Amino acid sequence: MRSTDLLPPEPSIGEKNMSDVKSFLLPDLGEGLTEAELINWCVAVGDTIELNQIIAEVETAKASVELPSPYAGTVTALRAEEGATIEVGTPIIDVKTDAVDTASTATTSAPAERVPVLVGYGVADEGQSRRRARPAERLATPTAKTETSAKPAAKPPVRFLAKQHGIDLTTVAPTGVHGEITRNDILKAVDSAALVQPSDDVAGIRRTDVPTAGAHETRTPIKGVRKHTAAAMVASAFTAPHVTEFMTVDVTPMLELLETLRASKHFADIRLTPLALVAKALLIALRNNPSLNSSWDEHRQEIVTKHYVNLGIAAATPRGLMVPNIKNANILGLRDLAIQLANLTQTAKDGKTGTADLSQGTITITNVGVFGVDAGTPILNPGEAAILCFGAVRKQPWEFEGGVALRSVTTLSLSFDHRLVDGEQGSRFLSDIGRLLADPLNFVALG
Amino acid sequence: MIENHDHPIQLLNAEGERVHHAMFSELVADIDDRRLQDLYEDLVVVRRVDSEATALQRQGELGLWAPLLGQEAAQVGSARALADDDFVFASYREHGVAYCKGVDPTQMLRFWRGSTHSGWNPLEYRMTTPAIIVGSQALHATGYALGMKLDGSASAVITYFGDGAVSQGDISEAFGFAASFQAPVVLFCQNNQWAISEPVSLQTQVSIAQRARGFGMPSIRVDGNDVLAVLAATRHSMTHAREGNGPMLIEAVTYRMGPHTTSDDPSRYRPAELDDEWKLKDPLDRVHKHLEREGLINDEFLARVSDRADRTAADLRRGCLETVEPAPMTLFDNVYADEHPLVSEEREQFSQYLAGFEGSAR
Amino acid sequence: MNNTTTLPLGKALNAGLRRALEDDSKVLLMGEDIGKLGGVFRITDGLQKDFGEHRVIDTPLAESGILGTAVGLAMRGYRPVCEIQFDGFIYPAFDQIVSQVAKLHYRTGGNVTMPITIRVPYGGGIGAIEHHSESPEGYFAQTAGLRVVTCSNPADAHLMIRQAIASDDPVLFFEPKRRYWEKGDVNLAAPIDSYPLHKARVMVSGTDATLLAYGPMVTTALRAAEVAADEGISLEVIDLRSLSPLDMNTIESSVRKTGRLIVTHEAPVFLGIGAEIAARVTERCFYHLEAPVLRVGGFTIPYPPAKLEEHFLPDVDRILDALDRSFAA
Repeated sequence: MRSTDLLPPEPSIGEKNMSDVKSFLLPDLGEGLTEAELINWCVAVGDTIELNQIIAEVETAKASVELPSPYAGTVTALRAEEGATIEVGTPIIDVKTDAVDTASTATTSAPAERVPVLVGYGVADEGQSRRRARPAERLATPTAKTETSAKPAAKPPVRFLAKQHGIDLTTVAPTGVHGEITRNDILKAVDSAALVQPSDDVAGIRRTDVPTAGAHETRTPIKGVRKHTAAAMVASAFTAPHVTEFMTVDVTPMLELLETLRASKHFADIRLTPLALVAKALLIALRNNPSLNSSWDEHRQEIVTKHYVNLGIAAATPRGLMVPNIKNANILGLRDLAIQLANLTQTAKDGKTGTADLSQGTITITNVGVFGVDAGTPILNPGEAAILCFGAVRKQPWEFEGGVALRSVTTLSLSFDHRLVDGEQGSRFLSDIGRLLADPLNFVALG
Repeated sequence: MIENHDHPIQLLNAEGERVHHAMFSELVADIDDRRLQDLYEDLVVVRRVDSEATALQRQGELGLWAPLLGQEAAQVGSARALADDDFVFASYREHGVAYCKGVDPTQMLRFWRGSTHSGWNPLEYRMTTPAIIVGSQALHATGYALGMKLDGSASAVITYFGDGAVSQGDISEAFGFAASFQAPVVLFCQNNQWAISEPVSLQTQVSIAQRARGFGMPSIRVDGNDVLAVLAATRHSMTHAREGNGPMLIEAVTYRMGPHTTSDDPSRYRPAELDDEWKLKDPLDRVHKHLEREGLINDEFLARVSDRADRTAADLRRGCLETVEPAPMTLFDNVYADEHPLVSEEREQFSQYLAGFEGSAR
Repeated sequence: MNNTTTLPLGKALNAGLRRALEDDSKVLLMGEDIGKLGGVFRITDGLQKDFGEHRVIDTPLAESGILGTAVGLAMRGYRPVCEIQFDGFIYPAFDQIVSQVAKLHYRTGGNVTMPITIRVPYGGGIGAIEHHSESPEGYFAQTAGLRVVTCSNPADAHLMIRQAIASDDPVLFFEPKRRYWEKGDVNLAAPIDSYPLHKARVMVSGTDATLLAYGPMVTTALRAAEVAADEGISLEVIDLRSLSPLDMNTIESSVRKTGRLIVTHEAPVFLGIGAEIAARVTERCFYHLEAPVLRVGGFTIPYPPAKLEEHFLPDVDRILDALDRSFAA
């Protein structure tokens, strides 16, 4: 409880009244105190006092200290009681000064709260923070202007990224504020370059370049397509939770249909393969199972379901594994689909696949059947939700019309990203494909 | 050494009676009534300056003050022995010497207020500002004196230090250098018996004056509370120096009646009886008694003295309270004599930083 | 004007001191054994004979005393040039240097100047006993109010000592004692403003990496550059010359050109001059750095006995090793 509440307000700084009432605030007396006990008053209200006249005795930690008045005048109030403990900075006495005081108004106040020490005002509290203006406009640390130099400018992490992707900084146009190459500049360069480098730059699986000496092993530098593919595999495998489901289908009727179609005039000069039918089946099945045609946008925390299908076909090329895709395959009829597939395959074989063909795929088919392999657990193409692995077609004893017969059988392996596709969805999708391939009538009904 | 340590030289005893000394009485033969009154006035004013500054500290206007209470005679007596060209290298308690050297009272307290590291221009007043590193100033004084000698000047230097300082290596080095080069410097030790809480017996096993002998230098041990004896001793030493006879050590035996500084509490380490003992030897009282006995105390004189003290105290207070506190950008002033790029760079950066706050003038 | 002759670094200093004594009657030399003996390294040889005992002063054996009296002399208008006999003996004078010499100008609001030069033979490589091979320059470079410079060759020794003495600020002048006897061309008539005291100097131009050194390490750096050139690496070698103030402009221009910086000094790496330079270069050349700034210097140990010092002192191999690490980054 402070008696200050009952007193008239302090005269404001700058007011020069002839008669001022001034308060003396308990100063820190430099003897290790934040407070002092008032032992006794040496003056009373109404007393006329002189400058430096001892007005009170206060007790510090061990000794008592006499307080001299900074004002001459008449005592109008004693603001602390004898025996009370007063904090430094508290007004203890009011004096009505008669003449123009030599005391300045601003400075004769107790200093900010400080813990006194032997040799000075004492340890101060850290001041209040002031409002910072225009933080975005505040001058940055004066970084030296990047003068045009022979060497490209880039932050260390960006240099590292470029190195990881085998990007030569001198080929990248910088877009940074300081004239430096940014992370985005590198990523753009990764998308559009790297895989279409001049041939002497790329190391494929069949090249035997730069082997180091030694009879027991051959060392091939990791770069180019293989490096990029490896990175993509790692990124995919360790980001998306892969689930693979298998379905074995009797495709005998489908093969018969294939023969019939091949013989028809619609496919006279077009190469029609089982893969085309598998692709068509997948495309039809996607209509009711859109989650298999989506992607996980971690950065924006969104699932992107595409309303178009860019169907990727995994292909072995002279330069290594590549996945060119057929844009908007969902609107293609079987004939056009077959044409595109044939073109894609041929282009890949010729090693002429373009970067546009390689980007923005939404779902992939990989055909391991050509190698005579039955099934696999394919790894998703990064950014996609599903990949269908189409195995070899074999003649096998199978159930047929209640008995056992030699039928053409193939296994479909579907890997999907379990973040995007539930087991039920994946299973339904796979079984839809299976049903289409098992009974070609379904193509007509559902296609 | 002149006089053995039990009997420091005295010309005016505690009762205010003149004491004759074969050698030294003559040195103050010119101190007639008027001059003695002037000395008394000096003592009173100096004590008042000290008490005013102490009050200002208690009122929160100074961060710290090192009171000289009790040492007025040691300071006034020695300071009044100096010629205008003589240079003073002081410690941090020589406010009495500063007053006598003509330092403007309005400037005296700015250092203790924390507004500046140096309250006045030492070259203007030929006296240094408070030196905080104990004993460092004696070497500076010795170098300055050596410079005076190289110049062929007829002036001399006096340096002040306390009993605690004599333990510092720099003091011994100063004694050594001064003696080797026969520098015209008077080494004035105010033995006020205390170095904060440590009694002089902790600093030395023999009287401080005896140290001079080890360096091949003469010394005087004088009653520091006797303004006449101090005046005589200092005159003698300064002349000795000016005439090219080299350095001399003066030990003025006095007493620090107050605390080491306003943050110190002597009751924690020294008995009140000791203070009482020394009160009886007060430097002002004895002169007052002597003047009274000589019929030189009258209302007119006391009024003159009181008026002088009041006016000086008022100047001191006003100068203190009206101190223009340094602006933040002055942080970077005078670090070097010539421009230093790093200081300039930091000054510029800090200036921009300050300007970045809302409300600051752009 | 040209008066070029070949001199060892020590003699170049001697000639520079002689010139300073001739040019300004207020210049005084003071130190232990500098008069009659001419200094333990003969740097002040013959000067007392020619200029007299009142200008070339043998002092008592007390470093603090030397600096303290120099303060007083400076206040009296003299220009003292103090010699600290060996780097390891500077510490008794440390207080006078950092508490007084460094601060008096600031303390007195510019009223008092301290045009004091403090000459310190420093560094190792001379097979000495303890305390004779220190590199204390960091303590002083970090003290505001002091200027700190160091020469690496005779021409700079001659020029920089004159400039240091002429400066109105206190200057710590570090002399690489292991190079005192190395010879070089000196133009004794070089004007005092022929090259700024606080400017670094590109000794060898290069493109692949910047190698920055000062004092005794400059010779080593130049040798490292020669070896590197044989390996097909083009090093740019810079002699820092001034530690306070630092010539960051020269360093930054070089780093922006090469993208790599190695700093080398005898003083310990920890909190050494290289650390400050690395911080500033990282701040100001961030986008140009192809590798982190590397430092090659002393270990965090007291200077070792003579038999071990070759392992302590950075040499050509340690510098090249740092270069390899820089390129591997």
